[in-house]
Amino acid sequence: MVQVLRKYIRLFSILLKTSFIADLEFRVNFSLRIFTDIMWYLMQVLSFEVLFNYTPSIGGWDRYQMRVFLGVLFVVDSLYMIFVQDNVDRFADKVRKGELDFILAKPVSSQFLVSFQKIATASFGNLLIAIGFFVYAVSLIEDFNWYRVFWFLLVLPSSFIVVYTSRFFFTCLNLIFVKSESVQFLWYNCYKLGMRPDSIYFPFMKFILLTVFPMAFVASVPARMLLEPPNALLIVWSVLIGPIFLYLSHKFWNYCLRYYASASS
Amino acid sequence: MRQFIKRNLAFARLGIQTNLEYRFNFFIDAAVQPAMTALIEIFLWIALFAALKTETLNGFTKESYLSYVIWSSFIGRIAISWMYEHLMMDEIETGSINAIILRPMTFFEYYLSQLLGYKLVVFCFSVLVPLSIVFYYNLPTELGRLPAVTLMIFYYLIFIHAMSFLTACLAFFLNRVRSFTLVKNFSIYIMSGELFPLDLLPVFWKNIFLKLPFSSGVYLPVGYLTGRVDTELFLQGFTNITYGLMVVLTISYFVWKKGLGSYSGTGA
Repeated sequence: MVQVLRKYIRLFSILLKTSFIADLEFRVNFSLRIFTDIMWYLMQVLSFEVLFNYTPSIGGWDRYQMRVFLGVLFVVDSLYMIFVQDNVDRFADKVRKGELDFILAKPVSSQFLVSFQKIATASFGNLLIAIGFFVYAVSLIEDFNWYRVFWFLLVLPSSFIVVYTSRFFFTCLNLIFVKSESVQFLWYNCYKLGMRPDSIYFPFMKFILLTVFPMAFVASVPARMLLEPPNALLIVWSVLIGPIFLYLSHKFWNYCLRYYASASS
Repeated sequence: MRQFIKRNLAFARLGIQTNLEYRFNFFIDAAVQPAMTALIEIFLWIALFAALKTETLNGFTKESYLSYVIWSSFIGRIAISWMYEHLMMDEIETGSINAIILRPMTFFEYYLSQLLGYKLVVFCFSVLVPLSIVFYYNLPTELGRLPAVTLMIFYYLIFIHAMSFLTACLAFFLNRVRSFTLVKNFSIYIMSGELFPLDLLPVFWKNIFLKLPFSSGVYLPVGYLTGRVDTELFLQGFTNITYGLMVVLTISYFVWKKGLGSYSGTGA
């Protein structure tokens, strides 16, 4: 087990190095990517800041709590951008051109290679900005209980896994459907559900977003860990949901691979 | 002139047929995506009004805002170009543009007609969704204004295509220019009023954005349709688009000329 883990860590560090070299080749694109994400962050902040000029709270959270929510969203999103996005975006091409054959033939987990082969090193800049905004937002909360950071850090990996696996489920559909670009856009629309606090949704929808389709884990649940007293049930579920969804994604990947008919499929 | 109309109608038909080939994709693009966006925004506005102690926000009722977000989600999706901008970039980057520039037509019109044809079908199909919702919930919409609004959206699409053409021309000089599309479209998203109605902005920013052509993409047509924008301001939108078009087309002309001059014919 330790040996396998060591092998994957080594493989991951090699992938990181090659990705960084590849990214530096296109320097304008490298800088523009950071700028693009800053624009996206700005859009999210702006949409709430403008609304808070007219209302004291949205979904029970005030302006400062909403900034913490956005800080969490930016951190989780930048992790997704760094490790997952480039890979899943290119997956359809790999299927069409038959490049998936080379991945399947390698003696490592094909899901691992498909998901983490290319690391967007430019987005590390975004992660720093996101962390900066998050720390700034938390520092504005009066009488903040710092022990809650522990619960937050416990839940954060699950948030990343939920974002990764939900995107991966949609990506796998490329193996079944001939043209599924719009299905990929559909994922982004589902992701948008997680870009708003779960308290704005009606109870049944909130339940769905916490269980079957856990988009509330994108930012709402980790933000709750910081802003509200710990909820034992939510913490236990948060710890369990990561491994469960990882397992399900692996099963679904293997199921979809049955539809893959190699190059020009 | 007849030749020009004939070939452009053929391009428009091509745009429609290509996109209708995969009907599931079309359905998601034209109906599901904007419906999801509208749904999320509706929840947000309901939560916002639940926290308010007043019936109105900045002079408009909850119903007015709900009508705005429903219409803006659909019109915003129509008044933007992602796919054809990426196609134009690909043509330049890979060198397949050679096959187009050798023909008796322009690269600009080839994609403009396809875009307009495709958007016409999307409009006819997807407009039924917000219409049904506003009828069912009796949300404020002045349907008599829909033809004028449609005209503005399609005029604005020509401006949007000119912006896409200019962005695509950058592929003559730089590798991987898709990030420019993101930056541009994110900026348009804010300035057009799709993110929130422009009248919620501080007066200084509101006045600046209203003078730019981007407000004619969402805020002015949707505002006019839902009764928050008067006719005079709405008509100003046409003038803004015309000025915008003149500026962007002039710059595009020179960038295109310079780009073709440096193009080797084997991909940029």
